[in-house]
Amino acid sequence: MQEFLQQVVNGLTVGSVYSLVALGYTMVYGILRLINFAHGEMFMVGSYLALSTVSVLGMGQVASGSLGGILLVFLISMTAVAGLGVLVERVAYRPLRRASRLAPIVSALGASIFLQNAIMLIYGTRFKVFPEKLIPQISWEVGGVKITLMRVVILVVSLLLMAALYTLVQKTQLGAAIRACALDHDTARLMGIDVDRIVSLVFIIGPALGAAAGVMVGMFYYQINFVIGWTYGIRAFTAAILGGIGNIPGAMLGGLILGVLETLGAGYISPGWKDAISFFLLILILIVRPTGILGERVAEKV
Amino acid sequence: MKKFVAITLLLVMAVALTGCGKKEVEPIRIGVQGPISGQWAIEGTGFVKAVRLLAEEINNGGGLLGRPIEIIEGDDKGDPKESSLVAQKMVASKVIAVIGAYNSTATEPASQIYDENKILHITPSSTATRLTEKGYKMFFRTCFLDDRQGLFAAEFITKTLGKSKVALIHDNSTYAKGLAEWTKKYLEERGATVVFFDAITPGEKDYSPTLTRVKAIGPEVIYFTGYFSDAGLLVRQAKDLGILETAQFMGGNAVNNPDYIKSAGLDAAKGSIITTEPVPSDLPYPEAQKFLQDFKAKYNEDVASVWTPSAADAFRVIVEAIRKTNSTDPVKLAEYLHNELKDFPGITGPITFDEKGDRLGTIHKAYIVNEKGEFVPYK
Repeated sequence: MQEFLQQVVNGLTVGSVYSLVALGYTMVYGILRLINFAHGEMFMVGSYLALSTVSVLGMGQVASGSLGGILLVFLISMTAVAGLGVLVERVAYRPLRRASRLAPIVSALGASIFLQNAIMLIYGTRFKVFPEKLIPQISWEVGGVKITLMRVVILVVSLLLMAALYTLVQKTQLGAAIRACALDHDTARLMGIDVDRIVSLVFIIGPALGAAAGVMVGMFYYQINFVIGWTYGIRAFTAAILGGIGNIPGAMLGGLILGVLETLGAGYISPGWKDAISFFLLILILIVRPTGILGERVAEKV
Repeated sequence: MKKFVAITLLLVMAVALTGCGKKEVEPIRIGVQGPISGQWAIEGTGFVKAVRLLAEEINNGGGLLGRPIEIIEGDDKGDPKESSLVAQKMVASKVIAVIGAYNSTATEPASQIYDENKILHITPSSTATRLTEKGYKMFFRTCFLDDRQGLFAAEFITKTLGKSKVALIHDNSTYAKGLAEWTKKYLEERGATVVFFDAITPGEKDYSPTLTRVKAIGPEVIYFTGYFSDAGLLVRQAKDLGILETAQFMGGNAVNNPDYIKSAGLDAAKGSIITTEPVPSDLPYPEAQKFLQDFKAKYNEDVASVWTPSAADAFRVIVEAIRKTNSTDPVKLAEYLHNELKDFPGITGPITFDEKGDRLGTIHKAYIVNEKGEFVPYK
């Protein structure tokens, strides 16, 4: 039982990272019906920017970083990546808004490869390591289950960010505008909504959340390289589909479910079966519920 | 005037032509293949730096058999598919010998291509046993076999540490799986029990599912036979899960890299033990001291791992074979290395090859990470 609970804790940590990244895929898909393949790279860039900020500020070399310093790292990384998100949308997607659906996907892949290689050239091909003492080494033991501070931080920060996003989308006027754009661009425009601004907004929120996930992954695992965007991106994308792509609570649920399931699979069957199990599940759910767990059947647009 | 111009032109052409004639000394081309980019880039670039350093020395001293040495680089990224492409490129560039690749998984497909094309092939670092079981006459290695290390590890765990419950973790690569299997065999021969034997997926970040399983089983020793980047993540997560309080973490020779300690964090890495060839600065041979000094002088950095001197040794035995046979025919060179080279004074110790191309002897040692984050000999 103790082992099982530990595995669930392990899974929730990974899962909440997937959720945060999945939100970026799902929001863009909701608004533009575009799979933003460059989104995984936002996560990766966020991680690298955090590393740079940490080393510029000289944090973690002798003592743990202060809370203010850590918040600053999050803030800088999230802001910069949000800017990058808007830039990518401007350069790679907006000119293709009226093109066939294939063109923006190819463009997204291009943006992804570009960002990956840019980071590789700037930071080099070797993996980079966060300073050891950045986060205080605190852990608790609850009923034989070891929980480190960073696991709690990842879970809490993810849930808070997701709750904030959910409130924004469901309870505010801005959220109503986002939802309107997701339903129909032209009608939304007739209602006086500036669709381009809403799209930009989505490309601020998604990458910022991705960056936050990237920062936490860097601080948790210490070690980052320029391909983590792909490994986490593909899982997060799966999570988004699992929960119902285009659906915000779906992405959160999908991420957590995927994280826990693959952890249990890796722990009880074999790590080699980890991906097989999660993708088998994905296929199964798509057969039973093609719209994903929480996806609703949307009337065909004419 | 016209006549003058014509004569001048003729003269210039004549000079140019004779110039060409004189310069037509074909260089001796030697390939270096390895992960020059990707997660093991530090090892691949180490190969290139070591070989370029020695080649430059020889070229400055008038070359080999009066011919300059030209180094051809091939980046296989540690990937078997890329490795085949690099090997084909090497064949097309008419190299006589290739040094590489780094990991066994990449060396395996390349060794077949080089053997078919009769190119001398020496790997500095691929230790999987089966590489030399195929009867290739052109394939050699300047490193020692996995089974020797497995034997050493089993002896060390049972005799020196006196432990008998062992968890073996590998990463499904040719090298790591081979070492894990040899270790298992020798451990069981010595009456120890292997309580866990499975692979992690390299390149993942989260190994806590596997470690949680291991923790529930409760081994006394965890021996990881994979690479340093994964070892760093493993030992750190093992510490977070509280496994290091009851189990000794050990790594194989691919963990022998300073980046292991960096990515694990000193707190988690200290006290962990690796089985490996001696670290470069511990090499007792005079050739080693000279090489390490020259390397530092040229690149202003220390060699990254023991594989860099091993790559240098691969190059040095090729040069020795060319000198002694007075030939650049790869088949003759291979025959020389198989039959005549005896106790060649290498940077990594005396070098003798057996009929399979394996290096005789063993130099494995156990090292422990001390409080300052250095590998020091285990006592």
